[in-house]
Amino acid sequence: MTDPASRRSLLVWFVRAGITALGAAAAALAGAAAIPRAASRPARWVRAARFSDLDPGVPTPITLTAARDDGWHRARTPRVVFLLATEAGEVRALSATCTHLGCRVSWKGEADRFECPCHQGAYDRDGRVIAGPPPAPLPPIAARVDLAADEIHVEI
Amino acid sequence: MPRLTARLGDWLDHRAGWRAARAHLLDEPLPAGTGWWFTIGSVLLAALALQAVTGILLSLTYAPTPDHAHDSVRYIEQSVGAGRLLRGLHYYGASLIVLAAAAHMLRVVVFGSYKAPRELTWLTGLALLLVILAFALTGYLLPWDQRAYWATVVTINIAALTPVAGDLIAAVMRGGADIGALTLTRWYAAHVIVLPALLAALVALHLYLMRRHGISGGSRNSSRLIFPGSETAQGNRGKSTGRNFPFYPLQASRDLVVILIVIGALVAIAWRGAPALEPVANPADAGYVPRPEWYFLGLFELLKYFPGRLEVIGALVVPGLALLLLALLPWIDRGPSRRPRDRRAVLAMVAVMAVSLAALTAAGWRDRPPPADPGWTIRELGGMAMVSDGACARCHVDGGAAEPIRAEAVARDATWVAGHLLDPDMIAPGLREPPAPAGEREVAAILAYLARARRSGAPPALAPGDVTATRVFAQFCIGCHRIDPGARDGGDEGPDLTGIGAKHSAEALRRWIIDPEAVDPDAEMPSFGTRLTADELDALVQWLISRR
Repeated sequence: MTDPASRRSLLVWFVRAGITALGAAAAALAGAAAIPRAASRPARWVRAARFSDLDPGVPTPITLTAARDDGWHRARTPRVVFLLATEAGEVRALSATCTHLGCRVSWKGEADRFECPCHQGAYDRDGRVIAGPPPAPLPPIAARVDLAADEIHVEI
Repeated sequence: MPRLTARLGDWLDHRAGWRAARAHLLDEPLPAGTGWWFTIGSVLLAALALQAVTGILLSLTYAPTPDHAHDSVRYIEQSVGAGRLLRGLHYYGASLIVLAAAAHMLRVVVFGSYKAPRELTWLTGLALLLVILAFALTGYLLPWDQRAYWATVVTINIAALTPVAGDLIAAVMRGGADIGALTLTRWYAAHVIVLPALLAALVALHLYLMRRHGISGGSRNSSRLIFPGSETAQGNRGKSTGRNFPFYPLQASRDLVVILIVIGALVAIAWRGAPALEPVANPADAGYVPRPEWYFLGLFELLKYFPGRLEVIGALVVPGLALLLLALLPWIDRGPSRRPRDRRAVLAMVAVMAVSLAALTAAGWRDRPPPADPGWTIRELGGMAMVSDGACARCHVDGGAAEPIRAEAVARDATWVAGHLLDPDMIAPGLREPPAPAGEREVAAILAYLARARRSGAPPALAPGDVTATRVFAQFCIGCHRIDPGARDGGDEGPDLTGIGAKHSAEALRRWIIDPEAVDPDAEMPSFGTRLTADELDALVQWLISRR
């Protein structure tokens, strides 16, 4: 026969351990369901514009609507990139998303800079921060030009 | 009969003990000085209850998916009984709750009610404030309009600034790689299940703690006054400074008076509905300038002053420190006296915090962009096209039988114009061959155009094809369909055509317009193959395809 006091402490230990285990299992389940798996989107090349349509030296906003998986359905969400063509036949692409809080920047030709409407962040035509709170330049986006086909592709 | 009721009451009391419970709730002893200022907490409770009721009623119709959220909210406003009022109450109710919570907290600070032994009551109150703000944030996304989408972009980006776990937190908030269907479902779940459960538990704890130590009463009572009848009354070292009284009916009546006034004011404000839905969420729209709701404007403004890598200070450190300071108030302000004149330093500190927040909010309010011109509706544009393109121009031209129409200067009232359009001959009999009388929709479109032109002057320039298309739409389609951004005008019998160009090809639209029944035998739309000219059909299809 075991001593009642030690049996009691064993039962107390059992109840506490059991409740802790149940709590941990519930937390693990919640974590598994609530933390998204691989929250990254595979990049793909899409046709963005005709090279001949771009005005060299002027950043031009292009709205791309590539279909992408959005949970259980395919969404065609528009996304904007700026294309900047040079006389030499090269093209640079910049994201239109402000690095501060994710608002959509616009090109202000008269001021020769990109401006964000949320907190007046500003970038030069190469995407470098020149004013306001943005912590980083506008992210560059991979772009390639096929002059023969007069096509520009970007990776989004 | 009365005896039967009494016996039933006795029976129930024996089983459930309801008389003791009622006495516990209603006969709560209140110390002297518990007056009108102590009704604010009850107002807050009532506003939360009302918010729960309107929320449940909205959830009967709301659909939390990107495809349907915007439409379902519009449906609530336009087709659900009292839907406009319902959404208005829920929308302005959120502001009322934030205001009432702030007022309640200020009351507690001024009266020194957070002092020992009521520290935990104060801390649960602060936790409730955070839950209320989380409710406001998650609810904001649900209509899935521009305001909702961009406010959420900013919120998630702020959360991503959290040191170490920022990316994980942002991923959990987003649910997927981008803000989309998975974001909406989880914010909806948080808004209608997780947060309500948390709120209920915290409110219960807050009220339990309030009853455990009793109401603090007027500030001349020492914080050591723990009220007779409360659980901690033994060892009570304080003295009430006047006559005590039970909660029911005096204080209950005060509560009710203030609740009725506040809820009445809320109904008056919400009567005409919430602010109009904005166009459906569009991540590509450069014209949209995001602004948060007024109670987050101060925080939003604060972010401006911390550039680059200092961003995290404005976003998290300053608000976090302010919250920590509030949480520590009972330990900073430790003396037994609750009188404001004995606690000037603490009150000054809280006043500085409140004034700073108010000043930041005011600065954010001042910096807000001018309200975007919602643009001309299709009916107004169609009316313009009818005037410039249609029968009016036969007579209303330079050197013609009548003066050219300067829409912004037309002085005739709507009745006269409608009469003239429906029966042109009536105005100038026999002078000329009258044009065919206009139909009801053409009259409505032309009147809408004239009213708009008088109000806002120069109309937008339209390409020739668009002139034809808007005229056709305002004449034939608008009775059953909407297409403006924000869907401001049109009928609801047919589907909303906003963004139709992204959903169908030109050929499919053309086939459908010419003969809907050939495409779908169950189609209810009439065929327009014989009613539109080839040019009109081309223009309409091209214009619809351009609406993305």
